[in-house]
Amino acid sequence: MLESLWPFFTSPWSLAPDALLGVALLGVLAALAGEAVWRLLHWPRLVGYAIVGTALALAGRGAVGHEPALRLAIDGALALLLFEAGARLKLRWLVRNPWLLATSVAEALATGMGVFFVLSSFNLPSSVATPLAIVAVCVSPAVLQRVVGELRAAGQVTERLLTLAALNTLYAVLAMKLLSAGLLLSDPRTWLEALSPVLFSFCGSILLGAALGEGLALIARRFDLREDNAMLLLLAAVLLALVVAKTLQLSALLVPLLAGIWLANRSERPWVWPRHFGSAGSALVLVMFVAVSSAWTVEALAASAGVALTLVAVRALAKGLVVLALARPSGLGVGQAACLAIGLTPMSVTAWVLALDFSARHPEVGAQLMPVLLASLALLELAAPLAVMAGLRAAGEIDALPARAAKAS
Amino acid sequence: MTASGLGAFAASRAFTLGVELELQIVNRHDYDLAPGAADLLRLTGRRKLAADVKPEITSSMIELSTGICERHRDVIEQLLEVRDALVEDGGKLNLRLCGGGTHAFQDWSRRRIFDTPRFRQVSQLYGYLSKQFTVFGQHVHIGCPGPDQALWLLHAMSRFVPHAIALSASSPFVQGTDTGFQSARLNSVYAFPLSGRAPFHLSWEAFGVYFAKMRRTGVVASMKDFYWDIRPKPEFGTIEVRVMDTPLTVERAAAIAVYLQCVARWLARERPFEPDEDDGLVYTYNRFQACRFGLDGEVVDPRTAEHRSLRELIRETIDAVEMHAIELHAERGLALLKRSLAEQPGTDADWLRAAQDRERYLPEVVRQQCLRFES
Repeated sequence: MLESLWPFFTSPWSLAPDALLGVALLGVLAALAGEAVWRLLHWPRLVGYAIVGTALALAGRGAVGHEPALRLAIDGALALLLFEAGARLKLRWLVRNPWLLATSVAEALATGMGVFFVLSSFNLPSSVATPLAIVAVCVSPAVLQRVVGELRAAGQVTERLLTLAALNTLYAVLAMKLLSAGLLLSDPRTWLEALSPVLFSFCGSILLGAALGEGLALIARRFDLREDNAMLLLLAAVLLALVVAKTLQLSALLVPLLAGIWLANRSERPWVWPRHFGSAGSALVLVMFVAVSSAWTVEALAASAGVALTLVAVRALAKGLVVLALARPSGLGVGQAACLAIGLTPMSVTAWVLALDFSARHPEVGAQLMPVLLASLALLELAAPLAVMAGLRAAGEIDALPARAAKAS
Repeated sequence: MTASGLGAFAASRAFTLGVELELQIVNRHDYDLAPGAADLLRLTGRRKLAADVKPEITSSMIELSTGICERHRDVIEQLLEVRDALVEDGGKLNLRLCGGGTHAFQDWSRRRIFDTPRFRQVSQLYGYLSKQFTVFGQHVHIGCPGPDQALWLLHAMSRFVPHAIALSASSPFVQGTDTGFQSARLNSVYAFPLSGRAPFHLSWEAFGVYFAKMRRTGVVASMKDFYWDIRPKPEFGTIEVRVMDTPLTVERAAAIAVYLQCVARWLARERPFEPDEDDGLVYTYNRFQACRFGLDGEVVDPRTAEHRSLRELIRETIDAVEMHAIELHAERGLALLKRSLAEQPGTDADWLRAAQDRERYLPEVVRQQCLRFES
């Protein structure tokens, strides 16, 4: 009996019917851990999910990222969070406050160049350092959305955090596409064949993103978003777009992000989206965070800890310095800028998925890239959400008593 | 400071004006109230403006006040200048500003109290009331040459409190529902213990005795603890009319201010009637009519017991004060009000209801409210 149950625990991510128990148990554990940190410490539940994931990783049972069912759940959850991130990005704000746009561009460039330079000094070839530097640019909108949502943060630091994260994710995804395309196109034997898929992928992602945005707008106008039925429709529309994107080899990251941006900027009409499109979306998000925080091994961390630590430090330094330097012209106090800099720590989910997709296309680079990235993610897994919380709290943008507020609602 | 603790009444030029507006700060994604007062103040602090900008009790509210103005043009120029500055600075912070006596759908339990000792003390004393007090009003100061004149004017003006309420009414929605009221904001104000009508004293000496008694009870420490509809402001040498909702436009705010200015001059110069303790008999009834029905409210004359609609009464008053309007250069302001008496939608509350009928979506109504304030 016990013998037959063993695989449920040993490989919970390969979702065969007999492994359902493993996933269910993980869900129970993660939900309980999330509730525990929330009630006892007033920390975001996300930290609880990350603790369960970290425990899995320590036990050597972490996710790899290629398990089909898991990957679907992650893509789905990430799509929801990226859509939410895009929907908070108001491009007109960047026009009204060009210093904010300057901050965004400068912090992305500084991070990319800083990380590239440091990794090169560790004797990593530039073919590896370049994609790592690009990945380091993006701040995880998933973690930010989640922490901001749970703590009901609101204020200038929160707004800028979400805006900068949506922008640098956009830069990173586009740069990664360009890099990947560049590698394909640089080979004189294949460049002609590679050109049309590359163009197709770019234009297709933009078109599909806009189409998804329009579709969601239509649903939001015609249906009552307080009804579960409308939620289901929204969720299904996002997943459908995701499947289309995957089938046509379009970017599963770009499509939902662009859909959000399209919706937020096509007209001034405000939209209010229920978080993660309701409870089904929330379940996906839970699975995603547990999986991502389990996606490393102790051995890999030990092997690459030095490089990873440097990467994380340089990344934080680059982002922090730019944000502080441009605080005054962009209309931010120095204290707020420091809080914003701390909040720009998380890089979890988007970075992982970006690196996974890149490695799948370029396996030989991926083999060198993934250990460093996973070690960096391991370092930030638990620290990043707490850093965001600390930053927002120091900025005075979180209600004093989150637990009571949550119960009252 | 005198023995009563009331302080001396600073004389000011008769019928000078000061206007204060409490504005809503909202975000641009769902148009809920946004805690942006400190950020806005930091940016506007870098500017030189004729008007003053101050924090208010919650961090999603900001108060602007004009300097001492003589006439309509001063008021409107100062308000337009500070409005444009605030709108531009708000744009840099992804924030928007709007008028209106209440925010249409905010959840008061989520409002943060602006962090100063006085606001803290108020919030500790009044508990949820202080958060429910997230309402936005217009206050108009009218200069008085001396304290006795101030008290006389205060009580004579109390008949015109329903006028001011009906003209400014812009708070039909509270916490996401249509209250049926034109000004639901005042319902929140009246929950405070020291609100309503000031006690009937026509001499500063008698008023000082009343104030000393109240102070001895420990219930009040200064004039700030009274939330009366009209209260004397000895430091400024003014009486302060506090019943108005913040209108949706600064033009309307300026117009209402000069309406009160003209009425004050007419009352003081022509003395069409003497204030009387019995005016209080119908005071709360008339005020309710104005809050509930706005211009269509029917108020009762305390002397003749005649019932009249506020729309008619305001029209008559505008005609009665015509000479004073010319003296004070207030014609443009009064013309705006007169037009709105005939129009549909007449009040800002009507305008908000029409927007909600059209959109059926309160965040979009708030967005249009911002557009109206900005243009």
